[in-house]
Amino acid sequence: MANKTSLTRRQFLKNSALLTGSLALGGVLPRSVWAAASNTIRVGVIGCGNRGTGATKNCLASSKGVQIVAAADVFPIQMEKFKKAFSVPDNRCFVGLDAYKAVLALADVDMVILATPPGFRPVHFAAAVEAGKNVFLEKPVAVCPAGINMVIAASQKAAEKKLAVVAGTQRRHQAHYVEAMKRIHGGDIGTIVGAQCYWNMGGLGGHWVKKREPNEPDVAWQIRNWYYYTWLSGDHVVEQHVHNIDVVNWAFNALPDSVHSLAGRQFRKGEVFGNIFDHFGTEFFYPGDIRTISTCRQIDGTDWRVCERIVGTKGIANLDQSNASISGEKPWKFEGQATDPYVQEHTDLIASIRSGTPLNEGQRVAESTLTAIMARESGYSQRQFNRSWFMAKCDLNLVPPADLKLTDSKPVPAVAVPGKYQLPGLPVEVPKKKQGKGKGKKK
Amino acid sequence: MSTTSTTKTLGAAALVTGAMNTVHAAGSGIIKVGWLGCGGRGSGAIRQCLGADPGTEVIACADLFEHKAMSGREKLIADPKYKDRVKIKDDHIFHGFDCHEKLAQTECDLLVMATTPAFRGRQMLAALKAPKPKHIFTEKPIASDVAGCRLVMEAAKIATQKNRAIVCGTQRRHEFRRVETLKRIHAGAIGELLAGQCYWFGGGIWYRSDSEGMSELEWQCHNWYHFTWLSGDQIVEQAIHDIDMMNWCFNGPPKKFMAVGGRQSRDYSEQAKEVCKKFNNGSDANWEKYNGNIWDHIFGEMEYANGARCTAFTGHGPGTGRPSAEKLIGSKGASDCTDTIKGENPWTYQGEQVNGQDQEHIDLIKSIRSGNLLNEGQRIAETTLTAIGLRTAAYTGKTISWDWLLNASKQDLVPPQGKLKPGPGHFEPISTGCDKLV
Repeated sequence: MANKTSLTRRQFLKNSALLTGSLALGGVLPRSVWAAASNTIRVGVIGCGNRGTGATKNCLASSKGVQIVAAADVFPIQMEKFKKAFSVPDNRCFVGLDAYKAVLALADVDMVILATPPGFRPVHFAAAVEAGKNVFLEKPVAVCPAGINMVIAASQKAAEKKLAVVAGTQRRHQAHYVEAMKRIHGGDIGTIVGAQCYWNMGGLGGHWVKKREPNEPDVAWQIRNWYYYTWLSGDHVVEQHVHNIDVVNWAFNALPDSVHSLAGRQFRKGEVFGNIFDHFGTEFFYPGDIRTISTCRQIDGTDWRVCERIVGTKGIANLDQSNASISGEKPWKFEGQATDPYVQEHTDLIASIRSGTPLNEGQRVAESTLTAIMARESGYSQRQFNRSWFMAKCDLNLVPPADLKLTDSKPVPAVAVPGKYQLPGLPVEVPKKKQGKGKGKKK
Repeated sequence: MSTTSTTKTLGAAALVTGAMNTVHAAGSGIIKVGWLGCGGRGSGAIRQCLGADPGTEVIACADLFEHKAMSGREKLIADPKYKDRVKIKDDHIFHGFDCHEKLAQTECDLLVMATTPAFRGRQMLAALKAPKPKHIFTEKPIASDVAGCRLVMEAAKIATQKNRAIVCGTQRRHEFRRVETLKRIHAGAIGELLAGQCYWFGGGIWYRSDSEGMSELEWQCHNWYHFTWLSGDQIVEQAIHDIDMMNWCFNGPPKKFMAVGGRQSRDYSEQAKEVCKKFNNGSDANWEKYNGNIWDHIFGEMEYANGARCTAFTGHGPGTGRPSAEKLIGSKGASDCTDTIKGENPWTYQGEQVNGQDQEHIDLIKSIRSGNLLNEGQRIAETTLTAIGLRTAAYTGKTISWDWLLNASKQDLVPPQGKLKPGPGHFEPISTGCDKLV
C-alpha cells in the first residue's frame, strides 16, 4: 500500500473492515430478560475525543434501544462538538477533570463508555463500578502496575455486582479471530512453540501532535497532546501494540513469565513528542520457555506490518485485521460473515447486559495491558524481569492524583535511557566499572 | 626447525599424495605465512595459526600503523613458543592503507587477515590475484556493506579456480560438538525447524581516544568499532557468530529481514570531545561525529526459506546482558545448537572438546596440505550479508528480501582505495531508523 504515512491508523482499520464485508447492523438480539420497565440502555460517555466519538457511534449502531444521555470531557471545545453530534442535553454535559463524577452520579445512566486517555482509566473504571454502571472499557486500561491492580480489583467488584465489562480489544469480538482461536485451542496447529506479533505502522500522523498554546499550563497541554506522554498513553507499545499482544496471550491462554525488550527513540525529536519511544522489540517468554517476537514501530516512512502469527508443531495460524488462516496438517481459511468488530464488541456487551449474563473482560484486558507495560518498562530499563517480580515489587505508580488540576505544572520526565532509567522497585545497583574494556569473551 | 624435522612431524601421508608440491613451492614443507592486521585479534590469530602446525613460519607482517607492525613482530619473537618460526625480515614489514597490496606481492603461501572488517574484500582479491596467489584465513565479518560482501563472493570463486583455501573466523563451524549437533539437526532430530533465537547482547566496547601521530582517518581506523562503514555495527561485527549458527541450522541465509533498533545509551561524549579538540585546534564544538555512528541495539527477525522466523537480539547496553547463545525449535524437539538436543530424540555431546579458534587453523592447514581445500568464502559472505540485511532493515525501517539485497542493493559504504590516505576522516550521521534504502 502506497503512502501509509498519510493514512491514519483508524482510517486504515476502517478501510480494512469495510473491505471484508458489511457492518453487522440490526442483528437479532437475544430475548430480553433485563429491565422489566424499559429495554432502553442509557449511556454516558466519559472522554469525548476521537475514540469516544467513534465508540459512541459504534455503540449506537450496535443495538436498538440505546440512548446517549450524558457526557463528560476535560475540554469545552470537545464537549461542544460531541453535544451537537449526539444531541445530549446541556444539563447532562459536564466539563473538567472531575466531570466523570457527575456522569456517574446520574442514577438513570445504565452504562458508561470510558474513552479518555488511558492514564485516567483505572480511576474512572473504579468509580464507574462503585457507582454500579456497566462499562465499555477502551484499551489500554492502565499505564502502570498500580493502575493494573486498581482495574483488577474493580473487575472483581463488577463481577460481584453483576455488571458487564467489555474492553476495546475488538479482535476478541471479530469473527475470524474467534474462529481461528477455536481451532488453535482445539489443537489444529498442535502444540504452540512460537509466535510473532507486530504493530509496525510507519508514522503516527502529524494530526496527533498538539502544539502548545501560549501560556498553556503543563497538565492541560499534556492531556491535549496525550499520546506522547507515558503517564497518559502508556507509550505506543501499550496504547497500540496491546491489541497484538492480547492476541498472542489469547492463543497461549496464558501470560508471559518473563520479558526482555530492546527499545528506544531514534526518530522522534523535540519537546512536542513528550517522552515516549518510537520502537520496541520484545522477547516474551511464555510458560515452558516458549519465546516469541513482538515489535512495534512509529517512524515516518517505515514499512507497515500489523498482524499475528502463531506457530505450532502441526501448523501455523496467520491472523490480521482482514482475515485468518491456518496452514499445515489441518488447513483452514475463514470464509464466514465478516463483522465490524468495533460495533460487534458493543453488540455483545449490550446483549450480555440485556440477557442478564454480563460479560466481564476486565481481568483479561488488564492482563494484556500489563503484558505491554512490562515490555515498555523492560525497554526503558533494558532489563529482563519476571512478571511475578513486576507485580510484587515494581511500585511504579503513574495514576493521576485525585487533586490533579489542568493548571498544575508537571515537568515531563526525561526520555528513558537504559542505565540511567531507574526501574521502580529495583534496588539501585552499585555502578559497575567503566564501560568498555573489551568485547566480551568469544565462545 | 629444519625442513627434515617438519616433514617427520607431518608424517608420510602428505608426501605420498604429493599435494604439497602442487600447492606450495616445490620441495618445501614449510607454509610461509603473511600476517595482515597486527592488533588484538590478529595477534591471537597468528599464534593460533602457528600453533596449528609446526610447519608454519611467519615471513611478513603488515598493519595500517607502522608501530603496530613493528611491535607485532617484536612481541611474537619474544614469545618462546613461536620465536623460532618468526622470520620476518625488515623489508617484509609493511604499513599504510595499501599495506595489503605490498603483502600480496611477497612469497607468502597463506595470509592471516585480521584488520578492520571493511577492507577484507579488497585484501582477499589482492591476495588471490597476486603473482603467487595466497591461501587465506580471514577473521569475521568479511565486510561492512553489501559491496564488500560481493567482493568476497568474487574472491571465493577465484580461490576455487586457483586452488586456494579460504577459512574464516566463525570458529563455531569448527567445534566438534557443534558439528555433531548440527549433523543431527540436519538429519531431522528435532523435526521441521519452526523457530529460533540468537543473542549477543553484552556490555560496552572500548573507545580509543589516543591519536598521537595519526591523521583523522587513521584515528577512525584505530577506533574502528564505532563507525558503521568500518565495523558494520555490532550486529555485523559480533552477533554474526550467532547469526551464522542460525544460517548453518537452516543450511543457507534467510529470505527476508525485518528489524527495529536504535542508539539509546551509547555515550562516549567525554572521550569524543577530547578527540575533537585534538583534530580541531582545541575546539570541541563538533564533537558528536567522534562519538561514532553505530547503534547500541537491534532486535531483528530473520525469515528463512521454509517460513520459520527467528529472533536476533543484539547490541551493547547497561541492562541485563544476553550472553551469546542460540536456540532452535523444531516440530519434534529443540536444540541449543551447541551440544544438546531435547525432545523426541534426546542427545548430549560427549566427545572431544576443542577450541574452535585453534581448530579452524588446524582444519585450514590440513586442507592445504591434503589438497582437499576448504573454501568458506561464499558462506562467510552470505553470513556477513545476513547481518548486514538485519542492520539495513533496522536503519531503513523496511522489510528487505535476500534477493534484493544480494542483487539490487547499491549499498557501498567504504571509500574507494584511492581515497584512503592519511587525512580527514570519513563521517556519516547516526541513522534515524528511516534511512533511504539503497
